Amino acid sequence: MNKKFPMRLHFLLTTAWLVVALYMIFLYAPEEMTMGEVQRIFYIHVPAAWVALVGFIIIFIASIVYLMKRSQPADELAHATAEVGFIFCTCVLVTGPLWAKPAWGIWWTWSPRLTLTFLLWLLYVAYLMLRSYLVNPGRAANLCAVVGVIGFADVIIDYMAIRWWRTQHPQPVIMGGPNSGLDPRMLATLLVGVGAFTILFFFLVRVRLRLAVMRRELSEIRHALAFKLSED
Amino acid sequence: MFNKYLFWAYSLVWLIFMLYAWNLSRRQTRLEKELDEVKSKVTESASSASSGPSGS
Repeated sequence: MNKKFPMRLHFLLTTAWLVVALYMIFLYAPEEMTMGEVQRIFYIHVPAAWVALVGFIIIFIASIVYLMKRSQPADELAHATAEVGFIFCTCVLVTGPLWAKPAWGIWWTWSPRLTLTFLLWLLYVAYLMLRSYLVNPGRAANLCAVVGVIGFADVIIDYMAIRWWRTQHPQPVIMGGPNSGLDPRMLATLLVGVGAFTILFFFLVRVRLRLAVMRRELSEIRHALAFKLSED
Repeated sequence: MFNKYLFWAYSLVWLIFMLYAWNLSRRQTRLEKELDEVKSKVTESASSASSGPSGS
């Protein structure tokens, strides 16, 4: 992976994509008629939510692989993804109320979509807390994998919430049925934003995975050293 | 047209990413330092082991 797509190139591509996304958000996308300028929060809110959901899908798959094969790289991928996914999910919960207040007149409401997204954030927190507080790494990996598998149900219900129920949260603008849709320039901006956040997400996961590999290397050397010293 | 909600949404998101990037880089520096220390200990113990039998 590193040889095929070096980190430096990934970083440059991420930066360039983010710059293009910002240009489109503020200079290319038209102003929305009812909400005005504040609607531009949409272009970071939706991509962050998309990545937070994708993050948990990766955790789900990696957790299944770990539970079936006891694969350490799968466990490391799930852990790295949980940390980065938590960051994006936090962004969703920060931008959502900042958009809700001027649009709805309230910061928060316990409607299904909002509640399930908050639950997703709590799942990320629970996953990371289990990693931090359990002393036995094998036990932590097992329990986290179980959280990763069970928590996936929330991802499905969260995604479908605005399709199944009529809620305060707007209906989907893409793949939302006959009455959904966006201005072509808004749609292009949204798609570039989703691409930018997705590539940023994978860049951060790669950096976080590199840390996990270094930590594993360190612990292997320490074990070998301790074993050698005890032999001497 | 300046909108305070828009300003805070973008500022806070970038602040979150900056803090996380800073945190990652700090952890990486600490791990690299620890790895160097442990590797030098391994080299030390290997060299003392190789010189040990000839000295006794």
